[in-house]
Amino acid sequence: MNALLLRAASESPKVHLTSQTRIIAAVLALAFMGLVLELIRRDKLQERFSVVWFVAGLGMLVGAAFPGLLTLVADAMGVRDTNVALFSIVLLFLLGLALNFSVTMSRQAAQITRLAQERALEKASAQARSGENGSKAKSESLES
Amino acid sequence: MRTLVFIPAWNEEDSVANVIADVRESLPEADLLVIDDGSTDGTMARSREAGALVASLPFNQGLGAALQTGYLYALREGYEACAHLDADGQHPPREVARLLEEIYGDRADLVIGSRYRDPGKAESDDYKPTLSRRIGTGVFRFFLTLATRQRFTDTTSGMRAANRRVMALFSEHYSPDFAEIESLQLAVREGLRVEELPVRMLERTGGSSFLTPLRSAFFIFKGMIVLLVGQFRPRHPEASER
Repeated sequence: MNALLLRAASESPKVHLTSQTRIIAAVLALAFMGLVLELIRRDKLQERFSVVWFVAGLGMLVGAAFPGLLTLVADAMGVRDTNVALFSIVLLFLLGLALNFSVTMSRQAAQITRLAQERALEKASAQARSGENGSKAKSESLES
Repeated sequence: MRTLVFIPAWNEEDSVANVIADVRESLPEADLLVIDDGSTDGTMARSREAGALVASLPFNQGLGAALQTGYLYALREGYEACAHLDADGQHPPREVARLLEEIYGDRADLVIGSRYRDPGKAESDDYKPTLSRRIGTGVFRFFLTLATRQRFTDTTSGMRAANRRVMALFSEHYSPDFAEIESLQLAVREGLRVEELPVRMLERTGGSSFLTPLRSAFFIFKGMIVLLVGQFRPRHPEASER
């Protein structure tokens, strides 16, 4: 197990990552996760939407620490060029995420519409009631 | 029968009061509801001055959402029949009364007012559409007929009458983007009796058509996708049986 980890952590001849780029990638991943944390802290991002971004940050970190893993994944995918494998994975991930956001947006748009309709109908009902009471002044004061 | 006539209106302050007065005259028995779709002009004030009940959406939600608001109100307030017409004055309320007769006589669940008197012709005597509108009309006719296996001439007509089965269906399932066409497909798919009645329409007295050639092309493209997707939607038998 240890040997496998070491092999994955060592510089792989198939992955063109120098120690320098690996350090930069790791720092970027940490900074990214820090940014996500900060956004949650400032109430600009809800926790339930942050999980996926933490997973992405962890993925970046793992990729920087063990570039050999990428070779394993590329081999499993049957892709000769590990860079292509990396880009495909990231692209598919972002595509799925974007679609997920569209679904969330659609649901929220439907909810907003129903909310607006309910409010409009409540106001119409209030107008109808005040009309039945014959107190026009009351309906006017309600409007203002 | 208790009847609700509702009028979706978005920035129609010039014409809405006249339409309300016309509806009162032609359909004195019916209750009247104006659905103000987030207008920024005096539509709401004019409607109230004209004595109509107003359901005001807090922001513009599109025609589909406005119409759905009307169906929802009709369903909840226990109306047995409802009808709607445009606020720009091109739909004479006398013709709406004819649509409602079909509902009262239980000859259909949903009645569409068609501006084309002769189903074979793209133009009628009083109505001369622009080229882009003619193309759009032709395309939608073709695809809607293909999808529903029923002949429709005026697929985007905003003059309709409906009974409670339709209210129940449309208040839950109504596309906010492509209300006119998809609702016809939906109603036919749910096994409702949809009927088209030739009616006389007028030139609009206020507002302008939103269709430019580019928008028309996009509108047509979107409509085709909506119809295609609509063919694969699950049915909701429980919604229309009530």
